[in-house]
Amino acid sequence: MTKIDREDIHIINRHSNWSEKSIDNLLKEEIYTTATSWQKFLRLFFITLGIGFTTTGVLFFFAYNWADLHKFIKIGIIETLIVSLIAIVLFSKINLDIKNILLTGASILVGVLFAVFGQIYQTGANAYDFFLGWTLFITLWVVISNYAPLWLVFIILINTTLILYTQQVAHSWSEIFVFTLLFSINLVFLIAALAGKRFIPKLNAPAWFSNIIALATVSFSTIGICFGIFDKLEVTFMVLLIATTLLYLLGIKYGLKVKSGFYLSIISFCVIITITTFFIKLSNDAGMFLFISLFIVASVTYVIKTLISLQKKWKN
Amino acid sequence: MEKLTNKKSFLDTIRFSEGTEFECDENAILKEYEVNHENTSSLAIKILSIFGGFLGSLTFLGFLGLVGLYESEFAFLIFGIGFIISAIWINKKHDKLLIDTFSISIYVIGFVLFFYGLTLFKVDENIGLLLVISIALSSLFITQNYILSFISILLISGSFLTLILSNNAYNIIPIYIAINGFLITYLFLNEAKIISSYKRLSKLYNPARVGLIFSLLFGLFTIGKRGLVPISENYIWLSSIVLFFVIFYIVKTIITINNVTVSKKKIIIYLLTALVLLPTLFSPAISGAIVIILLSFLVNYKTGFVIGILSLIYFISQYYYDLNFTLLTKSILLFLSGMVFIALYIFTSKNKTINEKI
Repeated sequence: MTKIDREDIHIINRHSNWSEKSIDNLLKEEIYTTATSWQKFLRLFFITLGIGFTTTGVLFFFAYNWADLHKFIKIGIIETLIVSLIAIVLFSKINLDIKNILLTGASILVGVLFAVFGQIYQTGANAYDFFLGWTLFITLWVVISNYAPLWLVFIILINTTLILYTQQVAHSWSEIFVFTLLFSINLVFLIAALAGKRFIPKLNAPAWFSNIIALATVSFSTIGICFGIFDKLEVTFMVLLIATTLLYLLGIKYGLKVKSGFYLSIISFCVIITITTFFIKLSNDAGMFLFISLFIVASVTYVIKTLISLQKKWKN
Repeated sequence: MEKLTNKKSFLDTIRFSEGTEFECDENAILKEYEVNHENTSSLAIKILSIFGGFLGSLTFLGFLGLVGLYESEFAFLIFGIGFIISAIWINKKHDKLLIDTFSISIYVIGFVLFFYGLTLFKVDENIGLLLVISIALSSLFITQNYILSFISILLISGSFLTLILSNNAYNIIPIYIAINGFLITYLFLNEAKIISSYKRLSKLYNPARVGLIFSLLFGLFTIGKRGLVPISENYIWLSSIVLFFVIFYIVKTIITINNVTVSKKKIIIYLLTALVLLPTLFSPAISGAIVIILLSFLVNYKTGFVIGILSLIYFISQYYYDLNFTLLTKSILLFLSGMVFIALYIFTSKNKTINEKI
């Protein structure tokens, strides 16, 4: 017999005199979480909270900037912590998930280390070079552990570094250029997450990870284009426009290939937003708003219609 | 059609185990499968139609504002009621995914116009809100469309909260949270009972589940951030007590699932639960998020689980941000809680051979 899902039980229940007790038993046996997954979940839950709270505790401790504490001790404490965490990861026999969580904790502590360094030597806590150092020094761990949450931390750090750099140093860069840059960087990671496993089998990114990166990439490009529509025309805008068009086409092709409604929906939604922005640029009187509201409802409905018929095709 | 044959064999298994008393309308079942097959929607499609619906209604309201309809209060009421009725009617008539975006748009626009029209008529705001609640509530009985029901539930709980806030009755919020906490627990833990006793409304089960999660979250948000709502400190912990009861009840269920029979172990588990919960006495938002996580995981409901985790992270950060201690005290508190969790981890790992859990 095939796997039963919740919907089967609900549908059959609606058209039969199935007894409450049997439904309850079936739900408990087939749908609800079993004892083994409870134990797995709780262990992961506790260790994540444990490491999370402990590292934030350490972070707050140094943020307090205790004046009486000698700088040697301050940096010493963090380094000891990092070294001992890494020692556990390297030499103990606990399971890989836990080791990865510990390594993520250690990566956060590297950030604390840089922050304390900045505190002592007055280099500022939100300077872009602080984030740059943090990013660079965890790169090796990120690559070796190949643990999706750690990759996510890494990518967030890269984006933060870049955004801070444009705010603190590169004042001359236009908004569109910044968004194009952010878009390109995330695009590289997206491609690596999706196509990487073809070249290196170990690079098998989980779906939630590639979805988050895809969402970031598509949002940056859409925001960039929407800025571009209202700004004066510049070369970067054309580059972004062409790159985005290409990406969307590729994305649609990929979505069709792997039968993922996710890519198709975010791309079409972003296209709708872009077109809407363009309409508002053309005119912002009442008639246009009426037209836009009809346009949005009609186009979203059309997209959904296409998605449903695609899903039907995929299922058969 | 291979899938349908599978369903038939599944039906036969039920028939076999249930005995002769089992009766079912096979045609109706297969028909519903077919309709469902036409209308299966992924989460992406649901979110797309909700976003599209809201964007559509926003721009339409923008149009109304620009065109100057805002001067005729009568037009508001008529349009509002007209829109609400047509949204419900369209959904009742053709329960198709395709028209979801459209019907959500006019449903939301309808409520906005209706409520605004009432205020133009100088109708008391409370009466307006109560009217919104009763209309949304009755729409639940007319159409059980997933997204429309979800939005109706959000409207109901949102209006209740607005009622509380606009009457400055902030100390009722713990009651709101308590009621939502009880409702959500009852709904999650009695799935079989609910769907088998109210067959006609059993389609409401799924939208009600996600709707109640959001209703609870709305309540938690109002007290999750200190100073957002001037609720007295003397009342905040009341909602915690209720949520603690709920959590203990869930823990009891989990203990049964995990076959913990030694009473000494049970006591340790309850004590540890209390130890974890006690620091959150003045932050019911955290225990509320824990309720959502535990319940969703228990019944294997992924969307709820993710919502729960995200809100837990948010509420914990907000809690520590709001604490009136120096960073040093905060860091010690955080560090100690971290240690407690690591201890819990070691405790659960050591006992894994004898089916242990908190």
